[in-house]
Amino acid sequence: MTDHAIDLHNVAKTYRGKVHALRGIDMKVNRGEVFGLLGPNGAGKSTLVKILMTVIRPSHCDGSVLGQRVGHKPTLARVGYLPEHHQFPDYLTGAQVIDYYGAMGRVPKADRKKRTAELLDLVGMSDWASKKLKGYSKGMRQRIGLAQALINDPQLVLLDEPTDGVDPVGRRDLRAILTRLKDEGRTVFINSHLLSELEMVCDRVAILVQGTVRSQGTIHELTEDRHCYSISVVPDSTAQREPFEGVVPSLQGAKRGALDSGEWYEIDGPTLRVGAEDPARIRPMLAKLITSGATIREVRQVRPSLEDLFMEAVTDPNTGQALAPGAAKQKGDRP
Amino acid sequence: MITQTIAILIAAYRELNARKLFWVTMGINLLVVALFASLGINERGVSFFIWTFDAEFFNTTIVSPELFYKWQFVIWGIPWWLTWIATILGLVTTAGMIPDLVTAGAIDTLLSKPIGRVRLFLTKYISGLLFLALQVLVFTTGCFLVIWIRGGTVEPRLFLAVPIVVLFFSYLFAFCAFVGMVTRSTMAALLLTVLFWFMVFLMNTADDVVLAQREGAIVKLEDRTLNLERQSEYADRQIESLIEQGTPILDTDGTEITDLDARRDAANPAMRASRTRLTEAEESVETWKKWSGYSVAVKTVLPKTQETVGLLRRYMLSEEDDRRLSADDSGREARDEDPAFTDPRVQERLTIAKRGRTEVWIIGTSLAFELVLLGLTALIFRRRDF
Repeated sequence: MTDHAIDLHNVAKTYRGKVHALRGIDMKVNRGEVFGLLGPNGAGKSTLVKILMTVIRPSHCDGSVLGQRVGHKPTLARVGYLPEHHQFPDYLTGAQVIDYYGAMGRVPKADRKKRTAELLDLVGMSDWASKKLKGYSKGMRQRIGLAQALINDPQLVLLDEPTDGVDPVGRRDLRAILTRLKDEGRTVFINSHLLSELEMVCDRVAILVQGTVRSQGTIHELTEDRHCYSISVVPDSTAQREPFEGVVPSLQGAKRGALDSGEWYEIDGPTLRVGAEDPARIRPMLAKLITSGATIREVRQVRPSLEDLFMEAVTDPNTGQALAPGAAKQKGDRP
Repeated sequence: MITQTIAILIAAYRELNARKLFWVTMGINLLVVALFASLGINERGVSFFIWTFDAEFFNTTIVSPELFYKWQFVIWGIPWWLTWIATILGLVTTAGMIPDLVTAGAIDTLLSKPIGRVRLFLTKYISGLLFLALQVLVFTTGCFLVIWIRGGTVEPRLFLAVPIVVLFFSYLFAFCAFVGMVTRSTMAALLLTVLFWFMVFLMNTADDVVLAQREGAIVKLEDRTLNLERQSEYADRQIESLIEQGTPILDTDGTEITDLDARRDAANPAMRASRTRLTEAEESVETWKKWSGYSVAVKTVLPKTQETVGLLRRYMLSEEDDRRLSADDSGREARDEDPAFTDPRVQERLTIAKRGRTEVWIIGTSLAFELVLLGLTALIFRRRDF
């Protein structure tokens, strides 16, 4: 049995008109982890999820889901899926929706009956179980959607924008459910815009931009080389020189550069940021600052957030502007 | 597999159950059955509730109550209620089933389940047919009870209406599903299906007219052939008489005629015109046979909606009853003095010709049409990204 719940190689999707939605995705999701897929609108996140769920046929795909090739229908009996913008039959009650999709997932009737009650309780919808969906709010539908995704006791759960329309209480509940799913050994694959939510629950993430994976790994791995220390001094208007002159040896009017020891630095007014994870690296600088008579206001370690990573990934390094959304921009290119 | 099929069928029932039109149609069904039950026939004429309308040629001395109710079912129940009104209501109710199935957001969840697309589509399609099956079953059961209680006869053949009407509806629903799959629009599916149905109806009507003209031309040809034979016999007697008298049969220029036909024409001058009319009739038969062939060819590739429902009439009525009813129909529907529509011999030939169209041709070719459409629809569904 492979260690990966999802193992993808060179997944590509080209729509009619030569629009490349996915341009060769390589991605691995370990069993038992919570994996987050990030990306701006039109990056191809939903397309990728839909390919995994056989809703969209890939133009090219090597890879497996739970050890079987992508598109292997029987494997889907072990997968749960909550689509984005889902439309469940609103003439059914919450309990009937869960039961219906359970039956479609080949769950035996007795198991469905038992699990439906458990899941309604899990998503906090027991009181609404016998009411028709047409009377539900968006958040309530989302809860029922999550329950139907779990009715088949799945080993892998794919959630496409699960917090869409869910209030803060619902999001907290969802986090608790995700934690529980992880504790139960299930793999969870989340596609979401809410970076702070993902940061709290995901073990690993991948950032998708214009149909390609820009980066993937644990948040620590992705931010490892971006850790830095921020040193702020109290500005001295009477001082004749720059506050960090002599502290950063190669400073000659430049606002950013590299230290002799190799770490990067950046000066932003009265703040100096040094790309070092070891505090011993900044000790000599602090000593020089104190010696020079500067008043140090704050020294703190800075860890970039998922949002920082995301913004970096979706920003054009040449122009500093956000990349255009969607994959159509690359029309005519080959993946 | 069974679990999924049952789940889809139950969900389809719940979907229909949630639609008011389903229950409206069911209510109208029962109302029509109640009206059917309120009709009656006695020794004076026809009764309706407590009123009796005297009818010298339509009472129990001429038509038995059993035949009366069967006729009413065949004349009104099948062609009007089941074929038109119930079918239109059925289409209105079910036209949205396939577009709803492929709606973005709804289809994603279903496709993510371990069920093949073709099976998903076909099960959904069959669940649509269940709507009409349920309606027809209720209506037929009601009519069965009426014929049993009021007509005094148990007529289990009435229940043939369920498979036959569902079969007829399935042709239209296959087209509706195809349009619904391509356009994903309920309105387009409904309107184009009604348009298609109207086109098939026009084709059937044209075929009826062509068939009636063909049979009328054949009868006319037979009449003219007989007439010419009689004139020939008369002429032959005249010729024999002249020969016995020793009178030669001369041409206008005084030469004796030896050719038999020419001698007959001379003996009976009306024969030349009759022979010309016979030739015209032969040409007419050839023309209508040719058009009838074209008509049958076109109809072969189209679903036989009227003929499929017409099978019920074939199964329910004996040939004699069918002919009596056809004569009655033609009397009511006589459009002009054209013998193709009024001559009872033509009507009889028409009945025979229509009954001569086998079930294999009627159902087989219609099913072939349906299967091709369903195959195309399934192929589109199978290859489409959602």
